[in-house]
Amino acid sequence: MKRTWMIVMLLAAALAAGCATKKGFEKPGFAYGCPIGDAKVSSMEDLVKLKILSEGKRTTIVANEMRCTMTGDLMKIDVNLNNDSSKVKRIQYKFRWIDREGMRAWEEEVWKPLLMYENSNITVSGVAPTNKAVDFRLILLSQE
Amino acid sequence: MIDLSHTHRLVLLPLLAAVVLAAGCAQERTRYGEERGIETVTNQFSSTDLQLIAESMTRSMLQSPSVIGSNLPIVTVQEVKNKTSEYIDTRAITDSIRSELQKSGKVRFAVDAAAMQQQVEEVERQQREYYDKEETAEKGRMVGAQYRMEGNIISIVKQAKDIRDVYYKFNLQLWNIRNGLLEWSDEKEIRKTTTKG
Repeated sequence: MKRTWMIVMLLAAALAAGCATKKGFEKPGFAYGCPIGDAKVSSMEDLVKLKILSEGKRTTIVANEMRCTMTGDLMKIDVNLNNDSSKVKRIQYKFRWIDREGMRAWEEEVWKPLLMYENSNITVSGVAPTNKAVDFRLILLSQE
Repeated sequence: MIDLSHTHRLVLLPLLAAVVLAAGCAQERTRYGEERGIETVTNQFSSTDLQLIAESMTRSMLQSPSVIGSNLPIVTVQEVKNKTSEYIDTRAITDSIRSELQKSGKVRFAVDAAAMQQQVEEVERQQREYYDKEETAEKGRMVGAQYRMEGNIISIVKQAKDIRDVYYKFNLQLWNIRNGLLEWSDEKEIRKTTTKG
């Protein structure tokens, strides 16, 4: 009985240590390298909900992963988009860059056309045009 | 006096309505559009292509070691050769790239060959006796560029009975003027297909 307790305690300690280590890599106000401000993000799903906007006709294309990093002093974003339907889909996307005060850090980007084959994944990348951009949104628009 | 029977009237009325409707449709209508929206009126080189190329090249160049590692590198814009079969104002593309880079605050631009004549004329004009010698631009004070930017655009056009496919490839390079090394280069590809029916 004592040994079982010890094993359970050790496992709990290891788990806690593992979580602490993982959290230690993330700066406060960031999740998966992406800025989140005061928002509560505990999963990739939360992050995607926070960062992806839909304009116009809603698309069935969904983002399922997102990573942010810095290249020099510019923010770089990779977003994995998924088309799980059995039809080829056409969408447009653009990044919107936001500065420290929550204002637009840059003018609107050009809409970028994207063709996605049936049951496919594609990673779209964006680089901030200026180091004033400290946050972003990815905007999707259906072209169907 | 023309006597229209009930049957005749029934045929004439829809015909008249159709004529009125057709006349209405033929009327032109002009509206403002989104300047950065996707334009697909034809599959020739479009405003969207220009904007896509400028944005893609700018963002790529901002990540190059020459821009990240240098303290505001000075660049001069040279020619982008149009090797396509259609007329493309390549100067408009390089102007857009230059504007975006300048706005980013990471790159400075020296006067290019195309603007040199005006620059020299202005400096010489300021040498006249009408100007305050303390304030005028002196000769021999211009700063030379460290890098030169040049490129080319090509297209491959394929056409069959009901399909026309256009492929564009824009290539841009950043050359180190002092040692002749290619410091950065990138490409943007665009494919557009038009089908009839």
